[in-house]
Amino acid sequence: MNRLWKEFSKGLWKELPPFKLVLGLCPVLAVTNTANNGLGMGMAVIAVLTLSNFVVSLLRKLIPPKVRIACFIAISATLVVAVELLMQAFSYPLYQQLGIFVPLIVVNCIILGRSEAFAYKNPPLLAVADGLGMGIGFTLSLTFLGSLREVLGAGTLFGVAVMGDWFVPLKIMVQAPGAFICLGVLLALMTYAENVQRKRKGLAAVQGATHDCGSCGGCANVAKSQ
Amino acid sequence: MQEYFLLFMGAMFVNNIVLAQYLGNCPFIGTSKESGVAVGMGGAVVFVAVMAAAITWLVQRYILLPFGLDYLQTLAFILVIASLVQFVEMFLKKMIPALYKSLGIFLPLITTNCAVMGIALICQREEMDLLTTVLFAFASGMGFMIALILLAGIREKLAVRRLPMAMRGTPIGLVLAGLMSLAFFAFKGMI
Amino acid sequence: MKEEIKMIVVLSLICGLSGISLAALKQVTAPAIEEQVLTYVQAPAINSVLSDHDNNPIKDRKSFDVDGRTVMVFPAIHDGKLTGVAFETSGKGYGGKIGVMVGFSLADGVLSGIGITTMKETPGLGSRVADLSYTSQFSGHAADSVKLKKDGGDIQAVAGATISSGGTVSAIQNAIGIFNALKNSFGKGWS
Repeated sequence: MNRLWKEFSKGLWKELPPFKLVLGLCPVLAVTNTANNGLGMGMAVIAVLTLSNFVVSLLRKLIPPKVRIACFIAISATLVVAVELLMQAFSYPLYQQLGIFVPLIVVNCIILGRSEAFAYKNPPLLAVADGLGMGIGFTLSLTFLGSLREVLGAGTLFGVAVMGDWFVPLKIMVQAPGAFICLGVLLALMTYAENVQRKRKGLAAVQGATHDCGSCGGCANVAKSQ
Repeated sequence: MQEYFLLFMGAMFVNNIVLAQYLGNCPFIGTSKESGVAVGMGGAVVFVAVMAAAITWLVQRYILLPFGLDYLQTLAFILVIASLVQFVEMFLKKMIPALYKSLGIFLPLITTNCAVMGIALICQREEMDLLTTVLFAFASGMGFMIALILLAGIREKLAVRRLPMAMRGTPIGLVLAGLMSLAFFAFKGMI
Repeated sequence: MKEEIKMIVVLSLICGLSGISLAALKQVTAPAIEEQVLTYVQAPAINSVLSDHDNNPIKDRKSFDVDGRTVMVFPAIHDGKLTGVAFETSGKGYGGKIGVMVGFSLADGVLSGIGITTMKETPGLGSRVADLSYTSQFSGHAADSVKLKKDGGDIQAVAGATISSGGTVSAIQNAIGIFNALKNSFGKGWS
């Protein structure tokens, strides 16, 4: 039970994607122009991540190590197509909003990364806990970033006006430059908060979170071949 | 002719794949610390993107659509791209070792590079023909390479400057990318 | 050798299973997807081109066969009586296919309105065929000789966009042909 909680909760803060574990940036930047889109994308990622972790973990004894990446890709692609179909059937406007970023979930490093780093080595229950935790963390981050950009860029939150008449929306925040700058500043702020804590404990300051390739499937291959 | 020129410039600058379309951001931030690495990664992306776009176009046109399997697009495309990358890697290793040496280590990264798959998907959604697809993929890949090399140049300069500790690494990379994206907005008036 | 066989077996097993399960899921979701596409993509156009109605044209839709082609017809029903129909046709524009939803009023056999559903015309130029100032010319127009002014008709083309205007007009002529062919079978469809 303890172990289960540990694997679940690490995705919520200690290894919170994409802030602590800088992975899968494309959807993070692309669909967070409104809180609603961020939430929708997050839900799709939760579904795919949890299920792919579960399936990979179930089959982990069957999948030969040499073709494991191909198997991971096939499994996650199947789940992504399933999510695509379900999204079209039950939430077509969201499907239109997210556009090509729904099929692109399949190349999101988080999915492959968790299969490779966790699910392939652990039993199903733990893998599900890990996937759920990471997925929920990812969703919260995306929703937060989406809310921030929507409030600053359009003066609304989930489509409801929240700022007074005095507020002049910074259009740039809902466009590409705002996405990059917002995420960069948030990452820096989180590192700053961590550094303040570390200083109190007498530890040296660390630099901003790095793009963590270690747990990404494709990158792991590179490390090996080098 | 003019039409193709506009398509080319549009895909390379105005709708730059990284800075305006949000595709391929992981390698954009991850491999932009040195310009040498950036050139290698950019080259590999151009190479694979063109081949992947052409092959996925053929797969869509001659396999998926005739059999009514277009809902399997995502699955088919990723499998095609993954095996293409493997194949290119093997081919380069055997036939052109010099090129393999400079591009080889970036190739496996490209399977999970959403720019490649993204370009292939955009071509399908816009219902382009084969020639347009190849041209668009090439121009988009070049756009990725240009953005990557520019960012790497700036980050190399910044590496020796004094920055607040918390801004170093990825955060400053993202902020710089934002400023570049703002600069690329200027191209919008061009076409 | 044994390992290689296992590799191939496992990979094809996974692919086969995923293919089967996706095909099943596709079967299950297909009606819901069609409903959603119609509701979100076509419904606004349908409702704007049909005359007064108190039914849900999407729910009551029916397919008809004309010259070997299947046309999806959306009815307007008022007080239990069929008053009009709408269906989509397409013409060739400057940037590609222009989809036009054409509505007919049954009582007097005139066009009750048209709406552009899909197009890829040049923004600000050809795209103005979707503007009300252009489309409203067709509301109440007799359903026989729809022609542009330059061809001796009375439809004012969008300035600088003759090809796009011609595309919509040919789509409408096409629709009129279908309407005349089906006119007598509509009554049997809905009562």
